Amino acid sequence: MDTGSKDFARRRALLATLLAGIGAVLTGAALYPVWRFLAPRKGAEAQDQVALSRDQVPLGGAHFFNFRGRPAVVLQTRAGHFTAFSAVCTHLGCVIQWQAAEQRFLCPCHAGLFSAEGAVLGGPPPRPLESLAVSLRDDQILVG
Amino acid sequence: MSLRKTLVDWLDIRLGIRDLLEQNLTNYLLPRKINIWYTLGAVLLTLFGLQFVTGILLLVYYVPDTEQAFASVQAIMNEVPYGWLIRNLHAVGSNLIVVALLLHMLSVLFMNAYKKPRELTWLSGFLIFNLTLVLCLTGYLLPWSQLSFWATTVATEAPGAIPVIGDDIVRFLRGGAMVGDATLGRFFALHVMGLPLVFGLLVGVHLFCVRRAGISRPPFGEDYQGEPPRYTFEHEHHPGGIPFFPNYAVKDGAVICFFLAVLAVLVFFAPNLFIPPSAFEPADPFVTPPRIKPEWYFLWAYQTLKVFPSELIGLGIQGVLMTLLALLPFLDRSPERRPAKRPLFLVCFVLGILAFVGISVWGHLS
Repeated sequence: MDTGSKDFARRRALLATLLAGIGAVLTGAALYPVWRFLAPRKGAEAQDQVALSRDQVPLGGAHFFNFRGRPAVVLQTRAGHFTAFSAVCTHLGCVIQWQAAEQRFLCPCHAGLFSAEGAVLGGPPPRPLESLAVSLRDDQILVG
Repeated sequence: MSLRKTLVDWLDIRLGIRDLLEQNLTNYLLPRKINIWYTLGAVLLTLFGLQFVTGILLLVYYVPDTEQAFASVQAIMNEVPYGWLIRNLHAVGSNLIVVALLLHMLSVLFMNAYKKPRELTWLSGFLIFNLTLVLCLTGYLLPWSQLSFWATTVATEAPGAIPVIGDDIVRFLRGGAMVGDATLGRFFALHVMGLPLVFGLLVGVHLFCVRRAGISRPPFGEDYQGEPPRYTFEHEHHPGGIPFFPNYAVKDGAVICFFLAVLAVLVFFAPNLFIPPSAFEPADPFVTPPRIKPEWYFLWAYQTLKVFPSELIGLGIQGVLMTLLALLPFLDRSPERRPAKRPLFLVCFVLGILAFVGISVWGHLS
């Protein structure tokens, strides 16, 4: 290879690198707005605390509600004693059901069972239900 | 052995890809005197691709319901990150497409490239042009603004002038007596699914015709010779021409970049150039805003309907003009393509452009 063709090859490689670089920058500039456009917005799920009325949760019963964009459940196991959990089964993400007679949760997808404290009683769920913080203010239950 | 070569070898053994690339890129020769106007097809393909992508993105947040459509578009513009960019690219891009389509058609007309054997290329292109206008019309209603509502009301009212079946056509277009839920539903379905499917098919036919017949030679220069009469199929080859890739593809790329730059300037610095204030108010079926006007590319049709004492005459003249334009290659059968040798055609060409611009400006000012 003579000097001229070497120079030509180097110029060609430089040009190709420059073009690839510019192309990558432009592609990034075009894809970034698309990514931001499609990414879930934090604002929609930013509601930190959910307030429920005590009347909504009967003694020994459960009340399902939306907590930060996902289903959750609050229980009144004893008079004035409230606990809250994520209502999403830890197995494959189905929403659990409250069985008042047995005082336990059943996941209808694969028969996972959870106690009123969220512990796994049986079935395939690998972990207990996610527990949510509960506080009381006047006649309101504050979750989160 | 480089990864690229390995990949190309793998594909070549299975699909004969090297042969395919040579035939369609490096050994695909174009006329030596090909000019910049031939790039408009590639520009249009790019702009249509952009409409397709931005349209799909808008569908993520748009709600096709008369109660929620306007609010959903406002949310896209004001709340969704970069929603304003996606929506403005779509809205401004549609206007730029009409500009590019007009330029493409005018250049084909001027160079008489619609003549035998390219009648079907012209006809499919003309159908694409009309389908684009229908896409613009159906898309116009979707934001459910005052402008959308009343522009669609006026546009769908026009066929009412046709005797006997006019009212039925209007009802069919609207899905009821007035523009409402049913109209939004059918316009939405047409805009996002029905028309794009037909459009894709027509673009395929158009590109097939272009590729099969071969690129026409620009009818300029002293060495230009008329084409011999054809009685059998013959692909127009250009021995000694320039390769499509990389030579002409670079020119295509440059003009595409120019159009994208124009689009960017409009989107960033003049996004409301094509959007009058009535587009920012929700549709109110009980209040017609004053001086409602269609988009600039429909102004000629709007003014034609106003000029004639009967809407039917106006519609008839529009129909005759469009039919003549569609069938032009079948009516104008002289083999001469050099504009300088066709003074009558040239006069009609210039007068046609002046009439289109003049009537549109008149419609805008009236």
